[in-house]
Amino acid sequence: MAPSHGFTRRQVFRTSAAVGGAIAAAPLLSACGSGKASTKNSGVADTNTVKSVIPTYKASTAVTADIPSVQGANGAASDPAFLTFPASPAKSVTGPVGSGGSYQAVTPLWGSVPPPGNSYYTAVNQAIGATLTDSPSDGTTYATMLATRFASGNIPDWLDVPGWNVSAIQNFAEGVDKYFKDLTPFLAGDKVLDYPNLAAIPTGGWQAGVWNGKLYGIPLWTSAGNFPGMLFYRGDIFKAAGIDASSINSADKLKALGPELTVKSKGQYAFEDLTYYLYQIFNIPFSNGHTGWKRDSSGKLVNGYETPEYLEFLNFANSLAASGWVHPDALAGDSSKAKNRFWAGKTVITADGTGAWNKSDAQSGTAANPGYVRQGFKLFAFDGGKPSLALYPAAGMFSYLNKKLNDDQVKELLRIANYLAAPFGTQEYLTARYGKEGTTYTMTPSGPILNDEGNKVVTDTFDQLANCQAVTFNAGADQITKDYAAWQADAVQHAYKPMFYAMNITEPAETAKATTALEAVVTDVRMGRKGVSDYQAALTTWQNSAGNTLRTFYEGVAKQYGTGN
Amino acid sequence: MAAITTQEAKTPPRRRFGGARTGGGRTARGGGMNWRIRLRRDKSLVLMTVPALILLLLFNYLPMAGIIVAFEHYDIYQGIVNSDFVGLGEFRELLANPDFWHAFENTLVISFVQLILYFPVPIALALLVNTILSTRARAFIQAVVYLPHFFSFVLVITIFQEFLGGAGVLNVFLNRHGISSWDVMTNPHTFKYLVTAQAVWKEAGWGLIVFLAALAAIDPALYESAAVDGAGRWRRMRHITLPGLRGIVVLMLVLRLGNALSVGFEQMLIQRQAVGAGAADVLDTYSYIYGIGGGFGSAATFGADYSYGAAAGLFKAVLSLILILGANKLAHAFGEDGLYRK
Repeated sequence: MAPSHGFTRRQVFRTSAAVGGAIAAAPLLSACGSGKASTKNSGVADTNTVKSVIPTYKASTAVTADIPSVQGANGAASDPAFLTFPASPAKSVTGPVGSGGSYQAVTPLWGSVPPPGNSYYTAVNQAIGATLTDSPSDGTTYATMLATRFASGNIPDWLDVPGWNVSAIQNFAEGVDKYFKDLTPFLAGDKVLDYPNLAAIPTGGWQAGVWNGKLYGIPLWTSAGNFPGMLFYRGDIFKAAGIDASSINSADKLKALGPELTVKSKGQYAFEDLTYYLYQIFNIPFSNGHTGWKRDSSGKLVNGYETPEYLEFLNFANSLAASGWVHPDALAGDSSKAKNRFWAGKTVITADGTGAWNKSDAQSGTAANPGYVRQGFKLFAFDGGKPSLALYPAAGMFSYLNKKLNDDQVKELLRIANYLAAPFGTQEYLTARYGKEGTTYTMTPSGPILNDEGNKVVTDTFDQLANCQAVTFNAGADQITKDYAAWQADAVQHAYKPMFYAMNITEPAETAKATTALEAVVTDVRMGRKGVSDYQAALTTWQNSAGNTLRTFYEGVAKQYGTGN
Repeated sequence: MAAITTQEAKTPPRRRFGGARTGGGRTARGGGMNWRIRLRRDKSLVLMTVPALILLLLFNYLPMAGIIVAFEHYDIYQGIVNSDFVGLGEFRELLANPDFWHAFENTLVISFVQLILYFPVPIALALLVNTILSTRARAFIQAVVYLPHFFSFVLVITIFQEFLGGAGVLNVFLNRHGISSWDVMTNPHTFKYLVTAQAVWKEAGWGLIVFLAALAAIDPALYESAAVDGAGRWRRMRHITLPGLRGIVVLMLVLRLGNALSVGFEQMLIQRQAVGAGAADVLDTYSYIYGIGGGFGSAATFGADYSYGAAAGLFKAVLSLILILGANKLAHAFGEDGLYRK
């Protein structure tokens, strides 16, 4: 069974954040309990420490965007978007890259694993002058794989750790120190200028790569407009039904589409399981697969679970599940085929990561339904009021180097990272993302297009180790680029930084079981198997066994390290 | 091992049975022989079990040392040796958790339902297949009922979903004719019957093999003389077939009871999203979800706790051991062989 289908494919990685990072927080925890947590550190570092280890930012001047970044609220900004790839790409790396070393890497992959030693791997290895062997591992079960690797201590030279997988690993903040190389001596401050493409990764991305006051992670898919995802609809079906999507600006209006769009005899249902993407409509603080925290009117810290909006959310999801307008397979928990249902028109409204909106999605959709058009709902609030969208840290996914590597090896890998992080529109970008011209891709006026061989072997592998600031580009599918850029430009206007923004915090382990148990009840209520009153009972249990401990813990974090705002 | 085999090959066959001195002792159970002589006699058989024994030691007994994590706060970075020892702390936490008891209850209920509804099916199937005289028809039926055994549960559940699910063949048909749909795949209340139905569909055919073998072992002469004495079909079944099967049925029942607490890990895990933790959490999945965890969408685990999971697993193992020993004792009390002959 797959996880929430939101976390699929490339740009989704903008969608996640990290909870993790650790300074000596033992005094912090001694206040709130005994047991396992008290001897562990929470991974947090204060703002000044974080600032002192972060690399200097030096923007790249390689290309100018066709649709420039739009500045939003609270420091959010949309990604630069491109309609064409420069005809004569610039060179961003000078001098030799690798020095013939041989390294093993592990990255997540949502798709079929390409054959080892293929033409794309060969092209990139030739270009970097080293042998980098990537072993992609299924992204849907990646957390389990990571937890096992951490428990056994079997860590490859270069490892990708998605932020949303961190909670599955026992006390990640401690594991970072034990297994990963501290990159502070190599990258902090101006030292990063030796690697200009890494220096062009915006500061926000590096921030969540800091653990225990030291720089460990190389940020991936860095974006200042990083959101979990959105509600999508089938543009073609809406058009045929004469529905104006921009008129949908409340939960009630969304629900009212149910009977109109459900045609059971055709096997068409209005809704997919909208999962946690409903959180952003119900203004529930949310970060990285967890509900987040906020202060209520009295100044008390409350968890997302405890807010009145959470009950609104559950009521809505529960009534939707009972309405008969949600696809039965979605209610049966089969999230792995959510995309297929949407492509085939079995569902009309779905929810997914921002990364779902791209050219390859359009190709899959058109194959199932020739008229297929994916569109995103503009952000709205459940009560028709002012929408708000919690900003995720600028990078939600990081790659780490093995602690056992010596300094020369680290430098070689950082030079390789610098190569892989070449900005959009450069020669190195072409090689890193598309392989070799004529072998795996063809250059067209709108940009590089993978050929048959390329479609077989080029996939997200090396770019899950290091990459440049996120850009929006879909060669030859300009409408998608324009639509997504417009959606993001609107969304950033409603962005806010939630409490403990981009802070790496490892929660006391003994609270995990209670949260797992509460989530099981939330799923039951969402799927219509239990009532909202069952949730309230479960919430009380959760507060007693975990919630109140977490409250004290986060009060301590806020007092000692601030709230990240 | 190669050396031993060669040496054995050189041994004159005459000496294998210990010569004339113990020649008379070759009864079925080898009674009266001392173990050294018996060992010499069964040397080649014993040797043949060595690879299996090594595997058993390596993969079943050696890892048992890991049970120790159930008695500590196991920290993956400290290792088994350096983690804090907490005695029965994890067990206390486990037994105080209502979710654990709920998973325990689910396990017992599902196991009981399967015992009543699943266990008799292979026996009935075996009796049925045994009455078929045409070898070809028999082989065909056997092949058809064996086949699902080789499907994984993922496939079995997908097939069930395609037929009985809300968007499956049956419900699409019902919807087209204006009849309200029949919710069976996502109903937590009837989940125990659903998993039993899946188990029957997948495994009953495979289960019949052992009963067919037992049936084949019944002397046909008994049937012939009974028929000559005027016994009808039913009387032959009651007085010959069923008593002939009794030993194997009791053995299977004992084994079944020993496994009573394992009611299908994959099957539950896959369908947990469909019916919820309340219906689908059993001891095995509980131990996995809270102990090891992993990302399963909205069923995601928030942090692994190996010690807790190990405690849950050990609790189950101890109960299973008690169950199998108890069932075996019961079998002996009824004069049957059980797991071994007393």
